[in-house]
Amino acid sequence: MSTLVKTAQPRSRRGRSGSNRGRGLFVGGALTPLMLYMIFWTLFPMAWALLLSFFDYAPAHSGGGFLGLGGDNAFIGLGNFRNMLGDSLEAQKFRISLKTTLMFAFLVLPLNLAITIPLAVAIEAVRGRVKTFFRFIYFLPTLTSSVGVALIWRYIYHPQRGLFNMILKAVGIPAQIWLSNPRAIYLGVPLALWAIIITYLWQDMGYNLVIFIAALQGIPHDFKEAAVVDGANVWQIFWKITVPLLRPTLLFICVMTMLSSFQVFDIIQIMTENGRPQDQARVMVLDIYLNAFRFHNMGWAGAESIVLFLIVLVVTLVQMRLLRTRWEY
Amino acid sequence: MATVDKNHPMATTTHVSSARRTLDWRVVRRHLGQVLLHALLVAGCLGTLLPFMWMIFGSFTSSTEIVRIPPTFFPEAPSLENYRVILNDPHVPLGRFYLNSIIVAVSVVLLTLFTSSLAGFIFAKYEFFGKNSVFGFILATMMIPFQVLMVPSYLMLAKLKLIDSLWGLIVPAAIDAFGIFMMKQFIEGLPSELMDAGRIDGASEFGIYWRIILPQLGPALATLGILTFMFRWNNYLWPLIVITTNERRTLPIMLTWYSTVHSQRLDLTMTVSVMVVVPVLIVYTAFQRWIVQGFALSGFK
Repeated sequence: MSTLVKTAQPRSRRGRSGSNRGRGLFVGGALTPLMLYMIFWTLFPMAWALLLSFFDYAPAHSGGGFLGLGGDNAFIGLGNFRNMLGDSLEAQKFRISLKTTLMFAFLVLPLNLAITIPLAVAIEAVRGRVKTFFRFIYFLPTLTSSVGVALIWRYIYHPQRGLFNMILKAVGIPAQIWLSNPRAIYLGVPLALWAIIITYLWQDMGYNLVIFIAALQGIPHDFKEAAVVDGANVWQIFWKITVPLLRPTLLFICVMTMLSSFQVFDIIQIMTENGRPQDQARVMVLDIYLNAFRFHNMGWAGAESIVLFLIVLVVTLVQMRLLRTRWEY
Repeated sequence: MATVDKNHPMATTTHVSSARRTLDWRVVRRHLGQVLLHALLVAGCLGTLLPFMWMIFGSFTSSTEIVRIPPTFFPEAPSLENYRVILNDPHVPLGRFYLNSIIVAVSVVLLTLFTSSLAGFIFAKYEFFGKNSVFGFILATMMIPFQVLMVPSYLMLAKLKLIDSLWGLIVPAAIDAFGIFMMKQFIEGLPSELMDAGRIDGASEFGIYWRIILPQLGPALATLGILTFMFRWNNYLWPLIVITTNERRTLPIMLTWYSTVHSQRLDLTMTVSVMVVVPVLIVYTAFQRWIVQGFALSGFK
């Protein structure tokens, strides 16, 4: 018995120290290349974008030195950022795109929540297997290629042949030129942007819907039962129990919805042909894309993307502060 | 008051019947609520499906009928002519586009599954110096919009001579922060005894990952794989920038072919849209549970 233990002990200790070294090697050997790769495709371009923003960079210039910065690609310090406040055409376009992006993001978020939260509650209230069917249908547009969505909706908004005007006429409302009437402005927002927001909501709501449904399923039943016993009605249960308990999910949803609406590009580029008419639908990513890859003004585009990043960062941090919770259930 | 007192038995009967009526009313109201709820949700479904129907009907409509004013919702003479035109269009090598999209999406899926599960395994089951800060860094990269990295990434691809090649669509997408996060969450739920058993059997650490952990990851791999596939299949902006030769384009880029290069051909545009959207709908129908779960999962910390 005692000999068995004696022989067993050193072997196991040797085994463990050996495997400790093995584990260290494995963690280091596997994780280091993965992390270096990740840094190479995130932090490195991030730093490069920051560098670019201080230069008047175009790939066609014969630049010298580090990353082609220098030579004809002159260092201009904060010149790009100072120009953003100036009167040049590109600065005006940039400011239009900034305003449009903010309008878009701050309209999409409340509208999205106003649709998805009640819809999630309604789908959760349905009994039986139809629930899965409803979820299936409402999630469908989210998986559809945004290019396809944009093409279909551009046709839906067609002034003479579109579905929307066909429906409006049937109801007795005059037809609208949805995407290309620069004079149509409702509540301070161009009609073209409203039309794009409708399309965007149609495509994007499935994502939030699914997350809200999952969150609703996570709320313990006891809370609602207790409220019913206390005589609360459906509205009171919704506002006093469901919404507060959704708060952590709400934070995540708000951050992600904002993040993705600041990045809107596909549907706008296709539905409006580069933000026309009169740049009413020109958003920041579209402006960055055009400056970088049509006009090869990459220093300027780099500066714009830094501004975009800072805005996204600030908006995210503010939301995290406003919606933070200190309790769990 | 007095009449009630006088006709006492009558009063009781009316009382009883009214009680019965309120009871019935409650049942009716509950059913009515469900009926109303269903009606609203079905109406919403129709609204959601309407654009798809518009697209599908449009693809069966002839080029002369689709430009007619006022428009028709149902095609008067449905035909497959549009499909025939597109499949025989020498400018549009549709098979090539499908192949390109599949090559890119499948490669990115395989790479992402490997890197995410490996990194997720390490973060879930090993302790090492700086683990939390490294993981924090990975989560933080999820906050950087791709568009901010777009210009330098393009310049990097140019330096690596990967512009106008499918590699340019695959290489930068090989690691996915969300994938690592998701795999870590899943692997943390697996019992560590599995690994100890492997060690006793003399397996190397990579062997434990490859032969013991990986086979347990079925549902997580399926979910992440399908999400990644969908995302790459639908990706537009990056291929738009990177690819310049027609033969190397992916499906979303070629979707716009009949509405920008040529004059607007609504019938053909709707037909191409059907051809790109339908495969995704089939995948979605087949893997509904994984996909919805995967998206729902992304909402939880």
